[in-house]
Amino acid sequence: MDKELKRIITVLVGICILFVSLVAYLSYFQVFKAESIKMNSYNKRLWINEEKILRGSIIDRDGKILAYSEKEGETYKRIYNYGSLYSHIIGYSYREYGKVGLELEYNNALLNISDSTPLNELKNIVIPNTEGNTLKLTIDHHIQEYARNLLKGKKGSIVAMNPKTGEMYAMVSLPDFNPSALKENWSNIVEDENSPFLNRATSGLYTPGSTFKVITAVAAIEKTDLDREYECKGSTKIDGYVLKDYNSKAHGKLSLEEALVKSCNTYFAEKGVLIGKEKLGEVTERFMINKKIPFDLPTAKSTFPYKDNIGKTDIAAASIGQGKVLVTPLNMALVASSVANKGEMVKPILVKEIISPEGKVIRQSQPQTISRGADIFTANEVKNMMVEGVKRGTSKNASIKNIRVAGKTGTAENPSGKAHAWFIGFAPADDPQIAVAVVLEEEGSTGGQAAAPIARNIMIEAINTIK
Amino acid sequence: MMNKKVSYKLPRNLLVLFELMALLLLFIYDKDNLDKLTIIYGITLIFIVYISNFILLRISTGDSYIFLIVTMLISIGVIMIYRIDPLLGIKQVLWIGMGIIIFFITYFFFKKIKGWEEWIWLYGISSIILFIMTLLLGTRTKGSINWITIGRFGFQPSEIIKILAIFLISSYYANYEKYKEKKYGPYYLMGIMYIFIMFLFLQRDLGAVLIFYSLFLALQFIYEENRKLVLYNLLIFIVSGTLGYFIFPHVKIRFETWLNPWKYIDNKGYQITQSLFAIAEGGFFGTGIGLGYPDFIPEVHTDFIFSAICEEMGIFTGIGIIMLFLILVYRGFKIAIKQEIKFYRIVALGISILFGIQSFIIFGGVLKMIPLTGITIPFVSYGGSSMLSSFIALGILQVASEELDFEVEKDG
Repeated sequence: MDKELKRIITVLVGICILFVSLVAYLSYFQVFKAESIKMNSYNKRLWINEEKILRGSIIDRDGKILAYSEKEGETYKRIYNYGSLYSHIIGYSYREYGKVGLELEYNNALLNISDSTPLNELKNIVIPNTEGNTLKLTIDHHIQEYARNLLKGKKGSIVAMNPKTGEMYAMVSLPDFNPSALKENWSNIVEDENSPFLNRATSGLYTPGSTFKVITAVAAIEKTDLDREYECKGSTKIDGYVLKDYNSKAHGKLSLEEALVKSCNTYFAEKGVLIGKEKLGEVTERFMINKKIPFDLPTAKSTFPYKDNIGKTDIAAASIGQGKVLVTPLNMALVASSVANKGEMVKPILVKEIISPEGKVIRQSQPQTISRGADIFTANEVKNMMVEGVKRGTSKNASIKNIRVAGKTGTAENPSGKAHAWFIGFAPADDPQIAVAVVLEEEGSTGGQAAAPIARNIMIEAINTIK
Repeated sequence: MMNKKVSYKLPRNLLVLFELMALLLLFIYDKDNLDKLTIIYGITLIFIVYISNFILLRISTGDSYIFLIVTMLISIGVIMIYRIDPLLGIKQVLWIGMGIIIFFITYFFFKKIKGWEEWIWLYGISSIILFIMTLLLGTRTKGSINWITIGRFGFQPSEIIKILAIFLISSYYANYEKYKEKKYGPYYLMGIMYIFIMFLFLQRDLGAVLIFYSLFLALQFIYEENRKLVLYNLLIFIVSGTLGYFIFPHVKIRFETWLNPWKYIDNKGYQITQSLFAIAEGGFFGTGIGLGYPDFIPEVHTDFIFSAICEEMGIFTGIGIIMLFLILVYRGFKIAIKQEIKFYRIVALGISILFGIQSFIIFGGVLKMIPLTGITIPFVSYGGSSMLSSFIALGILQVASEELDFEVEKDG
């Protein structure tokens, strides 16, 4: 082959590569990127449907209307009945600011847009739809309002749910914002250093503190060769690092139950090291830490990086919920639910039903197990310990007259200097109807003092009012 | 012989079928303001395309696929343009008609006249005159000065200069031995080409800069015996590109909007993000003609016609168009390899590379694969200058595909 021909073919091959890469890029774009690009709020196509279709309403579990649309001139106007109460659940839908929350995640359902198959499209051309579906939430408006009032003025989150079905009764995250007054407050909200846009319940990552001991306790029970007795002296030294109990109080001789009831740090730190990071890591992952929790809203992943090269002090700290462990309030509510529900963790549900404009239920959420945190015996044992904790331990402030309550407090040290106050628990212990997680961000007080009473009130209210 | 006829007939008929179906869809979409004239234009289009394919097969002994491919491209293009703006669609039919006439004129003209490789000075000087005219008389559109308006008609001189440049490079390399002897001979071509590129840069027509540069580099790569020059050329491009980025804000803007158009979605990045929305919305099969919203993209009928096609006809059609261009380029290269006369061979290569690079730059641009520079897709985008010059180039390629028996020294 002569030189000229060779070079001609080189150029041809070059052009072929350019064109093939175009085809490859176009396919890649369509398969991997198109979906998210389409949802960008600057895509005017999203709003064309909006102008033709009456966006569906959002109602609570009893049918109370939380958000709806009404005609205003040529277009529709979205109205949020309860201001900031549902800012982190329903979110908002505005042309200028886009969509978040259920307004985004359930946009197609609210506008009654079917998946784009040729048949559906043809159907839509023949009979264009004019009205969207209604979303019926699992939220109980009364509990939601009640919970938010309890948290008012503080930063933090409350998650209250049914431990058996996964239905969320309330999900509060403060600070929040008012979706009806977004235009006036936009720049303030964006610049606010307390990040009102952050849904703390699903995406806030907190140090769990002693609430994490529930998980460590499960690991301790499963580790059958572990000596459960321990003599607490108020502090201990692990790898040269001194670890103290609350106020350096010595608890004396302790069983696992006593240790959880009194929330003894040295016990769990020492035992955690003996349990080992592999075992502890495996148990935490069964409780969906390091895992993506399937939910109707976007969730952040709780983390416990036990696979990294972590030392004994890190394991000890993790065993008492300090150090490298970070969890979301939703995740901790699920941990409580799992203990309540014989070890089975159910999928959290926010949207109970999707109802068509004709009143037909199109889709109904079914309870679904996503993970088994512990077997039934272990779960039962931990539950009894948590009940004792409420009866006579650190969780006393959560006790309810005539009802057996299970709970665990947490006071999480964190870089801000002021501890987060935690409480997780459920009631009634024998037939759990509600599980809660409460976290008060940078409260500077203990979980027992600050968080437990809030959880208690919510549990009472829920047991009394939810049918 | 029998076999050959059948194999050409089939694609020609399929093309008619495609056009009929697409026009039907289009007319259904536009049924409210459909008049007799529009239907006549539609039928005329099918007729022109069919007849010209038919005639060409009779008169030309050369390649019969390139014209077929091009008629497929113009069909897709004009249907989309009509859907976006019926008035422009009808104008485009007229341009196509004129383009095909120009194609045949070019074909005869270029075939009859001999001695093209001797007029290197003519190509150079007329190009420079055109450039100077553009700078003096040109009007600024979309930030670049590349249009001359005479009376009611505007045209883009750089479209003609592209072909002149191909002729210039071809004459140079066809007479390479002669120029090599002269003092500084090897640098003649490079000097002239850089003058061209400088003019284009002054007009702020970055797309054209890229086309001229790639065209020159590719042909230089094939024919330059002094390999150092190829390397220099490449180095100069990299250095001037980098300098340009820091010195000229309009170059910098192109890069920034390419890297992250979402940041500038309200202004500089508006067009490209709208294009991405359109392509994303179309999916694999498209929304269907008339059911998408390609008119959200500014300049959709020229530079962004590809995004509109992807939205309404799906990326399968988009990939189809890319493949059509690839086959066109491949046929062009095949023609070049078969051509025995050096000048025609280089011209065929130049035209094929031009079609390839130009379409790649704009496809890649609207997809955000490479920085966006506003140029047209040959044969598909709306526009008279682009259509006519593309058909001139195609006519020349058609001649080059034939076995020519001139009294010239054959090599290779």
